[in-house]
Amino acid sequence: MKKRGYGIGSMWYGIGSTAATNPSGAFVDFLDDGTAIVMSGCADIGQGSTTVLAQIAAETLGVGLEDVVVITADTGMTPDSGPSSASRQTYISGNAVRLAAEKAREQVIAKAAEMLDLDPGEIRLRDGQVWYEEEPAGKTMIEVIAQCRGEGILTLGHGTFNPATTKLDPATGQGVPYATYAFATQIAEVEVDTETGIVEVKKIVAAHDVGAAVNPQNVEGQIEGGCSMGVGYALLEEVVVDGGEIKNPGLSSYLIPTALDMPEVFPMIVEAQEPSGPYGAKGVGEPALVPTAAAIANAVADALGIRLYDLPLTPERIVAAIKAAASSQHE
Amino acid sequence: MSETCVVGKSAPRVDGPAKVSGKSQYGADIDIPGALFLKVLRSKTPHGMVKRIDVAEALKIPGVVRVFTHADVPGENSYGIIVKDQPALTDQVRFRGDALALVAAETEEAAKQALEVIKVEIEELPPLYDVWSAMAEKAQAIHAKGNILTVSRVKKGDAAAALRTAAVVVSRRYTTQRVEHSYIETEAGVAYMDNGILVIKAGTQNPHYDRRDVSRVLGLPMHKVRIIQAATGGGFGGKLDISVQCFLGLAALKLGRPVRMVYDRRESIAATGKRHPFLVEYTSAADREGKLLAVKAKIIGDTGAYASYGPATLNRAAVHATGPYEVPNVDIEALCVYTNNPFSGAMRGFGTPQMAFAAESQMDLLAQELELTPLEIRRRNVLRPGSLTATGQRLDHSVGISATLEAAWEKAGRVMPGLGGEVK
Repeated sequence: MKKRGYGIGSMWYGIGSTAATNPSGAFVDFLDDGTAIVMSGCADIGQGSTTVLAQIAAETLGVGLEDVVVITADTGMTPDSGPSSASRQTYISGNAVRLAAEKAREQVIAKAAEMLDLDPGEIRLRDGQVWYEEEPAGKTMIEVIAQCRGEGILTLGHGTFNPATTKLDPATGQGVPYATYAFATQIAEVEVDTETGIVEVKKIVAAHDVGAAVNPQNVEGQIEGGCSMGVGYALLEEVVVDGGEIKNPGLSSYLIPTALDMPEVFPMIVEAQEPSGPYGAKGVGEPALVPTAAAIANAVADALGIRLYDLPLTPERIVAAIKAAASSQHE
Repeated sequence: MSETCVVGKSAPRVDGPAKVSGKSQYGADIDIPGALFLKVLRSKTPHGMVKRIDVAEALKIPGVVRVFTHADVPGENSYGIIVKDQPALTDQVRFRGDALALVAAETEEAAKQALEVIKVEIEELPPLYDVWSAMAEKAQAIHAKGNILTVSRVKKGDAAAALRTAAVVVSRRYTTQRVEHSYIETEAGVAYMDNGILVIKAGTQNPHYDRRDVSRVLGLPMHKVRIIQAATGGGFGGKLDISVQCFLGLAALKLGRPVRMVYDRRESIAATGKRHPFLVEYTSAADREGKLLAVKAKIIGDTGAYASYGPATLNRAAVHATGPYEVPNVDIEALCVYTNNPFSGAMRGFGTPQMAFAAESQMDLLAQELELTPLEIRRRNVLRPGSLTATGQRLDHSVGISATLEAAWEKAGRVMPGLGGEVK
């Protein structure tokens, strides 16, 4: 018999290393033609951080995304931006890039204010133009940067950001381990075959508070990828170790989800703006996965009326749990 | 003017065209003419002292240039992001997978042949495969300071008193498994000397950390080591540790020739970190209205032979153990324990997916006891602006858990018709 069930998994996740300094640095070189080079130590491992950093730099400098090149993760060229871990790069390196770009921008604004005899506090850079009170002020950014060069001013900026945390008391763990937290709720729908013990995850609704999505499609990609990893964690994956030896060191025996195992995922972006984040952003990389197995386990318990306490929820374990429940009813 | 132009837009990935057209250079794609191939001899013994490594036969194989052992490591032969407990090439074996020797050869085939004929004599020690025997009082210490690496505690209020008087108390024991990251790309890279600077190009999640430990192990000043991240095909935490970097650096430095190496899938799985298996004893208590009164949990994580990110994983697990809920009384203890198993390290979530499984199961169990819906018990307990976390941190802003709960519920009601408006 196939039984359907639904389960909720909620989570919180502190952005950045726990109760530890974890700074990031960035350089921005605002060039003569209004394009820019960003240098960041942040390693893009497929999660899309280079794109996100380019967007933050372009936004801050008032130029197009195509006007920004980001050089990353080369200790000979880029400052230390810390690890691509702890869902920290958008928040921490994003802030470092934003601050570096602001420093470069300030110099252009200061020069524009001088050239146009305007209050620098009211000047904005946007679309390659200098803006004053919602209107182009009559100078292009290229003209202003050229003036800077003529006076021997390089429009460079550097930025560093270290999240505001404290150490934790070793006896009580009290303190401020993270500057901000991401939150999420996922709801899973499963179908459990009570004869075979096979669980099919049909749908996952995944609502994630990321602060603000710098790149919504990228956030959705992270959420979908996280759900796939969570399906594997909940149902399939286990490195079998016997006598200290891994018995399934290959992808023919260590099974991860394929496209056929994937549920329909409904990613939802919730934006509870983080004032200390770059343009309100927090992070999503790990949160995407964190509640998935929990939601699936709760859905399986809902379907069967029997709860399992050991991951993964393999067919063998599910069949055994159903049999154990049936025999305890007979007693 | 306040609206953003570029931020908040689904801009195409800047690295997309190179990746989809196959032009990105991953560690294994970088072709350096004349590069030697490197292979690692790994221990099949779980625990013991290396008495002798005889490489004479290996050196006779045509094409084999050099075989390195622990005796050839010029700097401090230990690395690790948190605890410097892992040797690049070891004279003390702590798991089936420890690196004993590094072969450099003109061809991959010659390097592989050399691995077959290196003779290693190991004086075996009794292995410890589970956290309980590792924690036993008279257990053989796998590392000098003993097998309990760290104990993280989070304590707030009086959990014991709350548990005595609460209307509902639920206690359960949870276990979670060891998991492989399964990134598409295995560990790979190249290294060469460039005008006196050692250059290493490899897949990594943290090039600046790599520089610190390569510099330490090779005894080079930091400015003489340059780490360049090659295009990296996924990491999920598994490429935060040193893998090929020290091997590449040692061989390039000592031989003055470019070198390359690639882990095959088997080596990648056997020799790099895993998600920590957890054992969690979890007790939750609530009042009749379903308000959480206390959470008490003991968490034990098997970090295997080396610390890697183990202390950070167990610490984060302790800090997040309550789930996204306001709990006035908290008593959490999380132990990170060495064993002779393959080592565990960082993996997406750092101990929190394990804890979410336990904490969210507990919430549903409490709901069941109180005849509340899973939705309702969460609504009554989620963190809100002004809430205090388990570590006593006041959350003032950007606390979107309630918004995600309501948004997910509303959406689920529409796309999951069987939900019937309420989770049972």
